[in-house]
Amino acid sequence: MARVLWAPFLAALVAVFVLLSSPVTYAEVPNAVPPKGEHNGKDVPQPIEFPHDIHAKINEINCMYCHTYARRSKVAGIPPTSKCMGCHSVIATDKPRIQKLTEYWEKRESPPWKKVHDVPDYVHFTHEKHLKRFVFDNEGMEVERVSEVCAFCHGEVKNMTVANKVKPLNMGFCVRCHEANDGPSDCWKCHK
Amino acid sequence: MSLKNILENWSQYRRGHEQGGHHEYEHMWGMAIDLNKCIGCNACSVACYAENNLAIVGKHRYSKSQAMHWMRIERYWDEPELEKAGLVTKGKTIETGASFLPMLCQQCNAATCEPVCPVAATYHTPDGLNAQVYNRCIGSRYCSNNCPYRLRYFNFWSYYEDSWPEPLHMQLNPDLSVRDKGVMEKCTFCVQRIRVAKDEAKMADRKVIDGEFQTSCQQSCPTDAIVFGDMLDPQSRVTKLWKTHQVELGKSKQSKQNPDKRGYRVLEGLNTDPCIMYLERVREV
Repeated sequence: MARVLWAPFLAALVAVFVLLSSPVTYAEVPNAVPPKGEHNGKDVPQPIEFPHDIHAKINEINCMYCHTYARRSKVAGIPPTSKCMGCHSVIATDKPRIQKLTEYWEKRESPPWKKVHDVPDYVHFTHEKHLKRFVFDNEGMEVERVSEVCAFCHGEVKNMTVANKVKPLNMGFCVRCHEANDGPSDCWKCHK
Repeated sequence: MSLKNILENWSQYRRGHEQGGHHEYEHMWGMAIDLNKCIGCNACSVACYAENNLAIVGKHRYSKSQAMHWMRIERYWDEPELEKAGLVTKGKTIETGASFLPMLCQQCNAATCEPVCPVAATYHTPDGLNAQVYNRCIGSRYCSNNCPYRLRYFNFWSYYEDSWPEPLHMQLNPDLSVRDKGVMEKCTFCVQRIRVAKDEAKMADRKVIDGEFQTSCQQSCPTDAIVFGDMLDPQSRVTKLWKTHQVELGKSKQSKQNPDKRGYRVLEGLNTDPCIMYLERVREV
Protein backbone atom coordinates (compact mmCIF):
# COMPACT_ATOMS: atom_id res chain seq x y z
CA MET A 1 0.00 0.00 0.00
CA ALA A 2 2.71 2.39 1.03
CA ARG A 3 4.69 1.59 -2.06
CA VAL A 4 1.78 2.45 -4.33
CA LEU A 5 1.36 5.82 -2.66
CA TRP A 6 5.02 6.67 -2.90
CA ALA A 7 5.56 5.56 -6.49
CA PRO A 8 4.15 8.63 -8.31
CA PHE A 9 5.85 10.95 -5.86
CA LEU A 10 9.20 9.25 -6.41
CA ALA A 11 8.74 9.36 -10.14
CA ALA A 12 8.02 13.08 -9.98
CA LEU A 13 11.07 13.58 -7.80
CA VAL A 14 13.28 11.70 -10.26
CA ALA A 15 11.84 13.73 -13.13
CA VAL A 16 12.55 17.00 -11.33
CA PHE A 17 16.07 15.83 -10.53
CA VAL A 18 16.75 14.87 -14.14
CA LEU A 19 15.41 18.22 -15.34
CA LEU A 20 17.53 20.15 -12.86
CA SER A 21 20.70 18.24 -13.61
CA SER A 22 20.43 18.62 -17.39
CA PRO A 23 23.83 19.54 -18.74
CA VAL A 24 24.72 23.21 -18.53
CA THR A 25 27.79 24.15 -20.47
CA TYR A 26 29.98 27.07 -19.59
CA ALA A 27 32.75 27.93 -21.96
CA GLU A 28 34.61 30.33 -19.70
CA VAL A 29 36.29 27.93 -17.32
CA PRO A 30 36.54 24.25 -18.18
CA ASN A 31 34.50 21.76 -16.14
CA ALA A 32 33.16 24.23 -13.61
CA VAL A 33 29.49 24.33 -12.78
CA PRO A 34 28.43 27.54 -11.08
CA PRO A 35 26.05 27.38 -8.12
CA LYS A 36 22.38 27.79 -8.93
CA GLY A 37 20.17 30.71 -8.04
CA GLU A 38 20.41 34.44 -8.11
CA HIS A 39 23.28 36.15 -6.38
CA ASN A 40 22.78 39.69 -7.52
CA GLY A 41 24.42 42.24 -5.34
CA LYS A 42 23.02 45.65 -4.60
CA ASP A 43 23.56 48.43 -7.10
CA VAL A 44 26.71 50.28 -6.23
CA PRO A 45 26.34 53.98 -7.02
CA GLN A 46 29.51 55.19 -8.70
CA PRO A 47 30.64 58.82 -9.02
CA ILE A 48 30.40 58.49 -12.79
CA GLU A 49 28.08 55.97 -14.37
CA PHE A 50 30.79 54.08 -16.24
CA PRO A 51 29.43 52.23 -19.28
CA HIS A 52 31.27 48.89 -19.50
CA ASP A 53 29.14 47.92 -22.48
CA ILE A 54 30.36 50.80 -24.68
CA HIS A 55 33.99 50.01 -23.87
CA ALA A 56 34.12 46.23 -23.78
CA LYS A 57 31.28 45.25 -26.09
CA ILE A 58 30.87 47.94 -28.74
CA ASN A 59 34.47 49.06 -28.92
CA GLU A 60 35.89 45.65 -27.98
CA ILE A 61 38.52 46.97 -25.61
CA ASN A 62 40.27 44.17 -23.74
CA CYS A 63 39.43 44.02 -20.01
CA MET A 64 43.14 43.99 -19.23
CA TYR A 65 43.73 47.24 -21.11
CA CYS A 66 42.23 49.17 -18.21
CA HIS A 67 42.38 46.56 -15.44
CA THR A 68 46.01 46.05 -16.26
CA TYR A 69 47.11 44.90 -12.81
CA ALA A 70 45.08 41.71 -13.03
CA ARG A 71 47.81 39.80 -14.82
CA ARG A 72 50.61 40.85 -12.50
CA SER A 73 49.21 41.35 -9.04
CA LYS A 74 46.66 40.20 -6.52
CA VAL A 75 44.10 42.82 -7.45
CA ALA A 76 42.76 43.74 -10.87
CA GLY A 77 42.64 47.36 -9.81
CA ILE A 78 40.84 50.40 -11.11
CA PRO A 79 42.79 52.28 -13.77
CA PRO A 80 44.24 55.67 -12.91
CA THR A 81 42.38 58.67 -14.29
CA SER A 82 45.32 59.30 -16.60
CA LYS A 83 44.41 56.11 -18.44
CA CYS A 84 40.85 57.39 -19.01
CA MET A 85 42.19 60.75 -20.15
CA GLY A 86 44.57 59.05 -22.56
CA CYS A 87 41.58 58.50 -24.81
CA HIS A 88 39.03 60.92 -23.46
CA SER A 89 41.06 64.07 -23.94
CA VAL A 90 39.99 63.67 -27.56
CA ILE A 91 37.18 61.10 -27.67
CA ALA A 92 33.57 61.98 -26.79
CA THR A 93 34.52 65.19 -25.01
CA ASP A 94 31.01 66.57 -25.47
CA LYS A 95 29.33 63.88 -23.33
CA PRO A 96 28.30 64.91 -19.79
CA ARG A 97 29.99 61.87 -18.18
CA ILE A 98 33.27 62.70 -19.87
CA GLN A 99 32.96 66.33 -18.86
CA LYS A 100 32.51 65.21 -15.26
CA LEU A 101 35.62 63.04 -15.62
CA THR A 102 37.56 65.97 -17.08
CA GLU A 103 36.51 68.05 -14.09
CA TYR A 104 38.01 65.47 -11.75
CA TRP A 105 41.13 65.35 -13.93
CA GLU A 106 41.59 69.10 -13.87
CA LYS A 107 41.06 69.24 -10.12
CA ARG A 108 43.78 66.55 -9.92
CA GLU A 109 41.44 64.26 -8.03
CA SER A 110 40.50 60.71 -8.80
CA PRO A 111 36.81 59.85 -8.95
CA PRO A 112 35.93 58.01 -5.72
CA TRP A 113 35.13 54.69 -7.39
CA LYS A 114 33.53 52.14 -5.12
CA LYS A 115 34.47 48.49 -4.89
CA VAL A 116 31.88 46.11 -6.30
CA HIS A 117 33.50 42.70 -6.05
CA ASP A 118 34.98 42.19 -2.64
CA VAL A 119 36.04 39.04 -0.86
CA PRO A 120 36.23 38.99 2.95
CA ASP A 121 39.45 40.08 4.65
CA TYR A 122 40.31 36.53 5.64
CA VAL A 123 40.55 35.38 2.04
CA HIS A 124 43.73 35.35 0.01
CA PHE A 125 42.91 35.66 -3.67
CA THR A 126 45.29 36.55 -6.48
CA HIS A 127 44.16 37.55 -9.94
CA GLU A 128 47.55 36.87 -11.49
CA LYS A 129 47.61 33.17 -10.70
CA HIS A 130 44.08 32.65 -11.94
CA LEU A 131 44.83 34.47 -15.19
CA LYS A 132 48.00 32.44 -15.60
CA ARG A 133 46.06 29.22 -15.22
CA PHE A 134 43.04 30.09 -17.35
CA VAL A 135 44.47 32.51 -19.93
CA PHE A 136 48.20 32.48 -20.39
CA ASP A 137 48.85 28.81 -19.61
CA ASN A 138 45.53 27.67 -21.04
CA GLU A 139 46.05 26.18 -24.46
CA GLY A 140 43.64 27.47 -27.07
CA MET A 141 42.64 30.47 -24.99
CA GLU A 142 43.53 33.69 -26.75
CA VAL A 143 44.19 36.77 -24.70
CA GLU A 144 41.57 38.56 -26.81
CA ARG A 145 38.93 36.33 -25.23
CA VAL A 146 39.97 37.10 -21.66
CA SER A 147 36.54 38.58 -20.88
CA GLU A 148 35.14 35.04 -20.96
CA VAL A 149 37.47 34.10 -18.12
CA CYS A 150 36.68 37.28 -16.19
CA ALA A 151 32.98 36.58 -16.68
CA PHE A 152 33.16 33.41 -14.64
CA CYS A 153 33.48 35.34 -11.42
CA HIS A 154 32.37 38.80 -12.50
CA GLY A 155 29.44 37.95 -14.76
CA GLU A 156 28.92 39.39 -18.23
CA VAL A 157 30.27 42.82 -17.39
CA LYS A 158 30.29 43.46 -21.14
CA ASN A 159 26.54 43.84 -21.04
CA MET A 160 26.42 46.06 -17.97
CA THR A 161 26.89 49.75 -17.62
CA VAL A 162 28.07 50.07 -14.04
CA ALA A 163 29.44 46.74 -12.89
CA ASN A 164 27.22 44.77 -10.57
CA LYS A 165 27.95 41.69 -8.52
CA VAL A 166 26.12 38.74 -10.05
CA LYS A 167 28.10 35.76 -8.76
CA PRO A 168 28.07 34.66 -5.12
CA LEU A 169 31.88 34.74 -4.65
CA ASN A 170 31.52 32.64 -1.52
CA MET A 171 33.50 29.61 -0.44
CA GLY A 172 31.18 27.16 -2.17
CA PHE A 173 31.61 29.08 -5.41
CA CYS A 174 35.40 28.94 -5.15
CA VAL A 175 35.61 25.33 -4.01
CA ARG A 176 33.34 24.06 -6.76
CA CYS A 177 35.67 25.47 -9.40
CA HIS A 178 38.77 24.33 -7.53
CA GLU A 179 37.45 20.78 -7.36
CA ALA A 180 36.49 20.74 -11.03
CA ASN A 181 39.83 22.12 -12.18
CA ASP A 182 42.16 20.39 -9.74
CA GLY A 183 42.88 23.60 -7.90
CA PRO A 184 44.49 23.41 -4.48
CA SER A 185 42.21 22.09 -1.75
CA ASP A 186 44.40 23.13 1.15
CA CYS A 187 42.61 25.52 3.57
CA TRP A 188 45.63 27.76 3.95
CA LYS A 189 45.84 28.35 0.20
CA CYS A 190 42.93 30.77 0.54
CA HIS A 191 42.24 31.31 4.22
CA LYS A 192 44.61 33.61 5.97
CA MET B 1 40.82 21.06 3.12
CA SER B 2 37.58 20.75 1.27
CA LEU B 3 34.91 18.25 2.23
CA LYS B 4 36.16 15.87 -0.46
CA ASN B 5 39.65 16.14 0.89
CA ILE B 6 38.46 15.52 4.44
CA LEU B 7 36.59 12.39 3.44
CA GLU B 8 39.29 10.97 1.20
CA ASN B 9 42.48 11.92 2.95
CA TRP B 10 41.44 11.98 6.56
CA SER B 11 43.59 9.07 7.65
CA GLN B 12 46.55 10.65 5.92
CA TYR B 13 46.29 13.79 8.00
CA ARG B 14 45.79 11.82 11.18
CA ARG B 15 48.84 9.58 10.87
CA GLY B 16 51.98 10.15 12.88
CA HIS B 17 55.37 10.21 11.25
CA GLU B 18 56.11 6.65 12.32
CA GLN B 19 53.16 5.42 10.29
CA GLY B 20 54.35 7.30 7.25
CA GLY B 21 52.47 10.46 8.03
CA HIS B 22 51.54 13.04 5.51
CA HIS B 23 54.12 12.35 2.88
CA GLU B 24 53.27 14.44 -0.13
CA TYR B 25 55.17 17.44 1.11
CA GLU B 26 55.90 20.29 -1.30
CA HIS B 27 58.06 22.03 1.27
CA MET B 28 59.09 21.35 4.81
CA TRP B 29 59.66 24.68 6.48
CA GLY B 30 62.06 24.38 9.35
CA MET B 31 64.11 26.52 11.65
CA ALA B 32 67.31 26.48 13.62
CA ILE B 33 67.82 28.80 16.59
CA ASP B 34 71.28 29.28 17.99
CA LEU B 35 70.98 29.94 21.73
CA ASN B 36 74.65 30.92 21.86
CA LYS B 37 73.75 33.92 19.73
CA CYS B 38 70.46 34.72 21.43
CA ILE B 39 70.81 37.72 23.73
CA GLY B 40 67.20 37.70 24.88
CA CYS B 41 66.48 41.16 23.48
CA ASN B 42 62.88 40.33 22.54
CA ALA B 43 63.22 41.97 19.11
CA CYS B 44 61.77 38.82 17.53
CA SER B 45 58.76 39.01 19.80
CA VAL B 46 58.16 42.66 18.97
CA ALA B 47 58.54 41.98 15.27
CA CYS B 48 56.03 39.18 15.56
CA TYR B 49 53.53 41.52 17.22
CA ALA B 50 53.93 43.95 14.34
CA GLU B 51 53.81 41.40 11.56
CA ASN B 52 51.02 39.17 12.76
CA ASN B 53 48.48 41.64 14.19
CA LEU B 54 48.99 40.28 17.68
CA ALA B 55 46.72 41.92 20.21
CA ILE B 56 48.14 43.90 23.09
CA VAL B 57 46.18 42.61 26.04
CA GLY B 58 47.35 44.94 28.81
CA LYS B 59 49.02 44.32 32.17
CA HIS B 60 46.01 42.83 33.91
CA ARG B 61 45.36 40.13 31.33
CA TYR B 62 49.05 39.55 30.85
CA SER B 63 49.34 38.63 34.52
CA LYS B 64 46.57 36.11 33.97
CA SER B 65 48.70 34.48 31.23
CA GLN B 66 46.40 35.66 28.49
CA ALA B 67 49.12 37.39 26.47
CA MET B 68 49.07 36.68 22.76
CA HIS B 69 52.83 36.51 22.16
CA TRP B 70 53.27 33.91 19.44
CA MET B 71 56.99 34.30 19.92
CA ARG B 72 58.06 34.49 23.52
CA ILE B 73 61.44 34.47 25.20
CA GLU B 74 61.59 32.11 28.14
CA ARG B 75 64.15 32.92 30.80
CA TYR B 76 65.94 30.31 32.83
CA TRP B 77 67.96 31.44 35.82
CA ASP B 78 68.94 28.06 37.15
CA GLU B 79 71.89 26.31 35.60
CA PRO B 80 72.04 22.71 36.81
CA GLU B 81 75.50 22.20 35.35
CA LEU B 82 76.94 25.24 37.06
CA GLU B 83 75.35 24.13 40.31
CA LYS B 84 76.99 20.75 39.98
CA ALA B 85 80.33 22.41 39.47
CA GLY B 86 79.75 24.34 42.70
CA LEU B 87 79.84 27.72 40.93
CA VAL B 88 76.34 28.78 41.91
CA THR B 89 74.28 28.11 44.96
CA LYS B 90 70.83 26.83 44.27
CA GLY B 91 68.10 29.44 44.33
CA LYS B 92 70.44 32.39 43.89
CA THR B 93 70.55 34.49 40.77
CA ILE B 94 73.77 33.95 38.93
CA GLU B 95 75.83 36.87 37.79
CA THR B 96 76.23 35.55 34.29
CA GLY B 97 72.56 36.27 33.68
CA ALA B 98 69.70 34.19 32.44
CA SER B 99 69.59 31.65 29.67
CA PHE B 100 67.08 32.45 26.98
CA LEU B 101 64.88 30.14 25.00
CA PRO B 102 62.80 31.74 22.24
CA MET B 103 59.66 29.66 22.03
CA LEU B 104 57.39 29.73 19.01
CA CYS B 105 55.11 27.07 17.55
CA GLN B 106 57.37 24.12 16.85
CA GLN B 107 55.33 23.17 13.76
CA CYS B 108 55.44 19.52 14.83
CA ASN B 109 55.10 16.96 12.09
CA ALA B 110 53.31 14.68 14.53
CA ALA B 111 51.50 17.52 16.22
CA THR B 112 49.55 16.65 19.30
CA CYS B 113 47.16 19.55 18.73
CA GLU B 114 45.96 18.30 15.34
CA PRO B 115 44.18 15.00 16.06
CA VAL B 116 42.16 16.45 18.95
CA CYS B 117 40.50 19.30 17.07
CA PRO B 118 36.82 18.41 16.79
CA VAL B 119 36.31 20.49 13.64
CA ALA B 120 39.64 20.03 11.81
CA ALA B 121 40.49 23.69 12.22
CA THR B 122 44.08 22.71 12.77
CA TYR B 123 45.72 20.34 10.33
CA HIS B 124 48.99 19.73 8.53
CA THR B 125 49.55 21.49 5.23
CA PRO B 126 51.56 20.06 2.33
CA ASP B 127 54.13 22.67 3.33
CA GLY B 128 54.84 20.84 6.55
CA LEU B 129 53.15 23.59 8.54
CA ASN B 130 50.74 23.17 11.37
CA ALA B 131 47.88 25.32 10.14
CA GLN B 132 45.19 27.04 12.13
CA VAL B 133 42.08 28.05 10.18
CA TYR B 134 40.39 30.82 12.14
CA ASN B 135 37.10 30.58 10.28
CA ARG B 136 36.80 26.96 11.17
CA CYS B 137 37.81 27.21 14.82
CA ILE B 138 35.00 26.93 17.34
CA GLY B 139 37.19 27.64 20.35
CA SER B 140 37.07 24.30 22.15
CA ARG B 141 40.68 24.97 23.32
CA TYR B 142 41.38 21.25 23.19
CA CYS B 143 44.45 21.85 21.00
CA SER B 144 45.95 24.28 23.48
CA ASN B 145 45.49 21.84 26.31
CA ASN B 146 47.14 19.14 24.27
CA CYS B 147 50.17 21.20 23.25
CA PRO B 148 53.15 20.16 25.39
CA TYR B 149 54.88 23.48 24.64
CA ARG B 150 51.90 25.72 25.53
CA LEU B 151 52.34 27.71 22.35
CA ARG B 152 48.74 28.19 21.37
CA TYR B 153 46.95 31.32 22.40
CA PHE B 154 43.25 31.77 22.83
CA ASN B 155 41.29 34.95 22.21
CA PHE B 156 39.32 35.21 25.42
CA TRP B 157 38.15 38.69 24.51
CA SER B 158 37.57 40.81 21.43
CA TYR B 159 41.01 42.32 21.77
CA TYR B 160 40.75 44.25 18.51
CA GLU B 161 38.28 46.62 20.17
CA ASP B 162 40.90 48.36 22.27
CA SER B 163 44.20 46.92 21.10
CA TRP B 164 44.73 49.35 18.25
CA PRO B 165 43.07 52.68 19.09
CA GLU B 166 43.04 55.12 16.19
CA PRO B 167 45.32 55.76 14.38
CA LEU B 168 47.16 52.59 15.40
CA HIS B 169 44.73 50.44 13.44
CA MET B 170 46.57 51.66 10.36
CA GLN B 171 49.52 49.49 11.36
CA LEU B 172 47.55 46.26 10.97
CA ASN B 173 48.93 43.86 8.41
CA PRO B 174 46.32 43.29 5.68
CA ASP B 175 47.88 39.95 4.71
CA LEU B 176 46.30 38.14 7.61
CA SER B 177 43.07 38.51 9.48
CA VAL B 178 42.53 40.19 12.81
CA ARG B 179 41.22 37.45 15.05
CA ASP B 180 38.07 37.84 17.05
CA LYS B 181 36.98 36.42 20.38
CA GLY B 182 36.70 32.65 20.59
CA VAL B 183 39.40 31.46 18.22
CA MET B 184 42.75 29.87 18.86
CA GLU B 185 45.84 31.29 17.23
CA LYS B 186 49.54 30.54 17.07
CA CYS B 187 52.73 31.09 15.14
CA THR B 188 52.31 30.38 11.43
CA PHE B 189 55.97 30.67 10.39
CA CYS B 190 54.77 33.90 8.74
CA VAL B 191 52.66 32.01 6.25
CA GLN B 192 51.68 35.25 4.54
CA ARG B 193 55.30 35.75 3.53
CA ILE B 194 55.61 32.13 2.43
CA ARG B 195 52.50 32.62 0.32
CA VAL B 196 53.92 35.67 -1.43
CA ALA B 197 57.24 33.92 -2.09
CA LYS B 198 55.47 30.86 -3.45
CA ASP B 199 53.18 32.96 -5.64
CA GLU B 200 56.12 34.85 -7.05
CA ALA B 201 58.03 31.64 -7.71
CA LYS B 202 55.03 30.15 -9.43
CA MET B 203 54.53 33.19 -11.63
CA ALA B 204 58.17 32.98 -12.70
CA ASP B 205 58.01 29.17 -13.15
CA ARG B 206 60.78 28.46 -10.69
CA LYS B 207 61.24 27.03 -7.23
CA VAL B 208 61.35 29.14 -4.09
CA ILE B 209 64.95 30.19 -3.55
CA ASP B 210 66.48 29.70 -0.11
CA GLY B 211 66.68 33.03 1.68
CA GLU B 212 64.27 34.69 -0.73
CA PHE B 213 62.09 35.63 2.21
CA GLN B 214 62.50 35.67 5.95
CA THR B 215 60.14 35.20 8.82
CA SER B 216 59.67 38.42 10.75
CA CYS B 217 61.49 37.08 13.83
CA GLN B 218 64.44 36.05 11.70
CA GLN B 219 64.48 39.39 9.94
CA SER B 220 64.58 41.34 13.17
CA CYS B 221 67.11 39.21 15.04
CA PRO B 222 70.15 41.45 15.63
CA THR B 223 72.51 38.53 16.15
CA ASP B 224 71.20 36.39 13.31
CA ALA B 225 70.39 33.57 15.71
CA ILE B 226 67.42 32.35 13.69
CA VAL B 227 67.80 30.48 10.42
CA PHE B 228 64.72 29.58 8.45
CA GLY B 229 64.27 27.62 5.26
CA ASP B 230 62.98 24.64 3.36
CA MET B 231 64.29 21.34 4.71
CA LEU B 232 63.42 19.50 1.49
CA ASP B 233 65.97 21.66 -0.28
CA PRO B 234 69.34 19.94 0.34
CA GLN B 235 71.20 23.19 -0.35
CA SER B 236 69.32 25.40 2.08
CA ARG B 237 71.09 26.91 5.06
CA VAL B 238 68.74 25.29 7.54
CA THR B 239 69.18 21.79 6.07
CA LYS B 240 72.92 22.15 6.26
CA LEU B 241 72.72 23.30 9.87
CA TRP B 242 70.55 20.35 10.85
CA LYS B 243 72.96 18.02 9.11
CA THR B 244 76.01 19.58 10.75
CA HIS B 245 74.48 19.18 14.17
CA GLN B 246 73.30 15.66 13.42
CA VAL B 247 69.66 16.30 14.14
CA GLU B 248 67.13 14.56 11.95
CA LEU B 249 63.41 14.82 11.41
CA GLY B 250 61.21 11.84 12.14
CA LYS B 251 63.00 10.63 15.26
CA SER B 252 62.06 10.70 18.91
CA LYS B 253 65.68 10.23 19.95
CA GLN B 254 68.66 11.49 17.99
CA SER B 255 71.55 9.18 17.31
CA LYS B 256 74.30 11.72 17.62
CA GLN B 257 77.78 10.49 16.84
CA ASN B 258 79.51 13.56 18.13
CA PRO B 259 78.36 14.60 21.63
CA ASP B 260 79.93 18.04 21.10
CA LYS B 261 77.29 18.90 18.53
CA ARG B 262 74.86 21.29 20.15
CA GLY B 263 71.65 20.58 18.26
CA TYR B 264 68.54 19.39 20.05
CA ARG B 265 64.81 19.64 19.74
CA VAL B 266 62.62 20.62 22.65
CA LEU B 267 60.66 17.69 24.17
CA GLU B 268 61.30 15.49 21.15
CA GLY B 269 61.00 12.46 23.41
CA LEU B 270 57.25 13.06 23.36
CA ASN B 271 57.34 12.00 19.70
CA THR B 272 56.02 15.29 18.39
CA ASP B 273 58.71 15.60 15.72
CA PRO B 274 59.13 19.39 15.90
CA CYS B 275 60.58 21.34 12.96
CA ILE B 276 62.66 23.67 15.11
CA MET B 277 66.16 22.73 16.17
CA TYR B 278 67.85 24.63 18.99
CA LEU B 279 71.60 24.88 19.37
CA GLU B 280 72.51 24.58 23.00
CA ARG B 281 74.14 27.47 24.82
CA VAL B 282 77.70 26.88 25.93
CA ARG B 283 78.82 28.38 29.25
CA GLU B 284 82.26 28.69 30.62
CA VAL B 285 82.46 26.32 33.55
